[in-house]
Amino acid sequence: MYQIRVHGLGGQGAVTLMTWLARAGYDQGMHVQAFPFFGAERRGAPVMAFFRMSDDPIDLRSQVYLPDLLVVMSPDLTGTAIEEGIDEMSKLLVNAGAELAAKLSERFEREVYYLDATGIAIKSGLEIEGMPMVNIPFFGALASLSGAAGIDEVMQFIDEVAAKRGNREAYEEAGRAGFEGVQRVSAGQKVP
Amino acid sequence: MRVLETGNHLIALAAEASRVEVVPAYPITPQTQIIEKVAELIDEGRMNAEYIPVESEHSACAALVSASLTGARAFSATSAHGLAYMHEMLHYAAGIRVPVVMANVNRALGPGWNIWCDHQDSISQRDTGWIQVYVAGHQEAVDTLIQGFRITEDHSVLLPLMVNLDAFVLSHTYMDAEVPSREDVDRYLPPYKPLWKLDPRLPVTHGSVVYPADFSETRESMQLGHKNAREVIREAAREFEDVFGRRHGDLVEGYLLDDAEYLVMAMGSLSAESRVAIDRLRESGVKAGLLRVRFFRPFPTEELRTLCRDRASIMVIDRDVSYGMEGALFSEVKAALYGHADVPVRNLIVGIGGRDVTYELIADMAQKAWNGEIGDVTWGDSHTTESHRVTREMLCEFDRLFESEKEVR
Repeated sequence: MYQIRVHGLGGQGAVTLMTWLARAGYDQGMHVQAFPFFGAERRGAPVMAFFRMSDDPIDLRSQVYLPDLLVVMSPDLTGTAIEEGIDEMSKLLVNAGAELAAKLSERFEREVYYLDATGIAIKSGLEIEGMPMVNIPFFGALASLSGAAGIDEVMQFIDEVAAKRGNREAYEEAGRAGFEGVQRVSAGQKVP
Repeated sequence: MRVLETGNHLIALAAEASRVEVVPAYPITPQTQIIEKVAELIDEGRMNAEYIPVESEHSACAALVSASLTGARAFSATSAHGLAYMHEMLHYAAGIRVPVVMANVNRALGPGWNIWCDHQDSISQRDTGWIQVYVAGHQEAVDTLIQGFRITEDHSVLLPLMVNLDAFVLSHTYMDAEVPSREDVDRYLPPYKPLWKLDPRLPVTHGSVVYPADFSETRESMQLGHKNAREVIREAAREFEDVFGRRHGDLVEGYLLDDAEYLVMAMGSLSAESRVAIDRLRESGVKAGLLRVRFFRPFPTEELRTLCRDRASIMVIDRDVSYGMEGALFSEVKAALYGHADVPVRNLIVGIGGRDVTYELIADMAQKAWNGEIGDVTWGDSHTTESHRVTREMLCEFDRLFESEKEVR
C-alpha cells in the first residue's frame, strides 16, 4: 500500500492531481483510491486530497494520516501539513526552490524533497487566470516518487490532458521537468 | 469492463447495465452525480430509458411508483433531505408493492447544515416497508444494485429496495471496479414480469379505501414479503457468484468469524475500515472477527442468532442514533439475540456528520468495549481537529451560559 496526502490551495489542482495519479496507477493494473476532503469549494482556501495504491483491493476508507509521501503545493502550508500527520518514514515534498527547502529542512528538522513547481509552470508558460499550473510538474514528480507511472506513461497522459487544452509542448516540458526535477536536502544540511 | 469511477457514477452505470427503463429524479448533494451520469448516458444513446425531471423528491417517488405500475423497470436516487421529503411516498411504494430500486447516498440531516455522511436519513425510514441494504465499497455498490432488481422483482417479495451508499467516502471517491455489460447482466437478471399492470384497456382502481376488515391482511402480506425476501436475497447472492464470480455476503458478511471470540458489527463503509481493524487486532493476538450487516431490512435475525452464539463480547457500530434510545443497529441486534445468545453487547456511535473514522479508533474502542471499560453506549471521538476543538469549547460555553441563566432566574 502506497499512500499520499496533498496539501494545496483551492485552484492549484490538488484534487485533479490525485485523480490523475489514480488513473496512472489504474492503467498499470493497480487498485487505486483518490478523494479530497470535501469542504466548501473556494479558490485560495486550504485543500487536502488523498491517494492510495495497492496490489490488493483497498479496504481503508479513512483519510490518510501517516502518508508515504506528504505533498505541500504551497510552502506556507508546510507546518499545517506536518501537524495533520507525518511519521519518520514519510517523505516530505514541498513546492520550493533549494534555498527555501533548506530553510524548511532546518526549521522542521527533517529531510525535505523539493521541486520548484511554480518556477517550472511559469517557465513553461502554464498559467490559468494568473495561477501557475503547478499540478502538471507535480504529476510528473508524484508519478516518479510513487512509481505509479514511468516517464513514457507520464508523457502519454500529459499529451491526453494537453489535447483538450492545446499547448502540448509546454505541458510536456513541465511534466518532464517535474518527473526529473525532484531534489533532496537532508536535515542539518547548510543553506547554500 | 474494468473502470476507474466515483461510487455515484458506478451506480448510474449499474442502472444502465440493468436495463432500467424509467428514471424520475431530483438532484441533491451528494447524489447529483448519479442522475447527471444517467442523463448523460441517455443523451448519448447508451441508455434506453425515459428520464423524468420532477419538481421535488415527493414527485420523484410518485413518478417512480407510477412508472413501475405500468410495468416498466424504474430506478431513482436521492439523499438525506430528499429522502425525508419522500417519506409519505416511500410508504405508498411499499404499500402498493412496486419492485423499484432506489440508491440513497447516506448523508446527515440538518440543521446544523451538513452534507457529509451518516445513516440518520435511511435509518429514519426504517418502518416504511422498504428493503434496505448498506454497501461497504464500490464493487459491492455495482453488484448490489443489479442484485436489487432480482430481489425486489421476485413475485414472492415485490417490495421496493433501497441501496444505501455512504456520502463522499463512497459516492465521490474514485476507485476501480468491474461493471458488467448489459448482455452479461441479462444472464443474471431476466426482464421484469409484472403480476399485473396499469392498462387503459382494462380500467381498474388500485390503492383505494381498504376497510378495517381487510387492511390488516395487506400489512401482514408486506411482512410476509420481507420474510420471503430473506431466502431470495441468499439465492440472489449465490447465483450472482455463479455468473460473475463475485460475492459480498448475503444478508450478512462475516470476516475471520470461525474462531473469533470478539465481534465488531457495522454497516456501510465503516465495515470495510473495520476489516483493517480486525487484521490489526489479530496481529496482536486478539481473536477478533467482523459480522457486517448488509441488509437492515429484512433484518438478519436468524443469521445473528447463529453467528453470535458462544462469542465473548460484541461491539456494534452505529453511524446514527435513535434519539432518546441508542444506536438503531444496536437496538436491533439486542432484540434479535434476546433469549438466544447470552453475550454482552456494547454500542459505539461514530462517524456522525462525516467525521472521519480510522481503523485505529475502531480497534481501540473495540478492545475497550469488549473489556467493559466503556459504557453500554459510547460516542466515539475521532481525529481531533482544531475546528472540532473550537466547536467543543463553544458548546461548553453555551452550557455555562445556560447554567448561569438558571441561577439568575
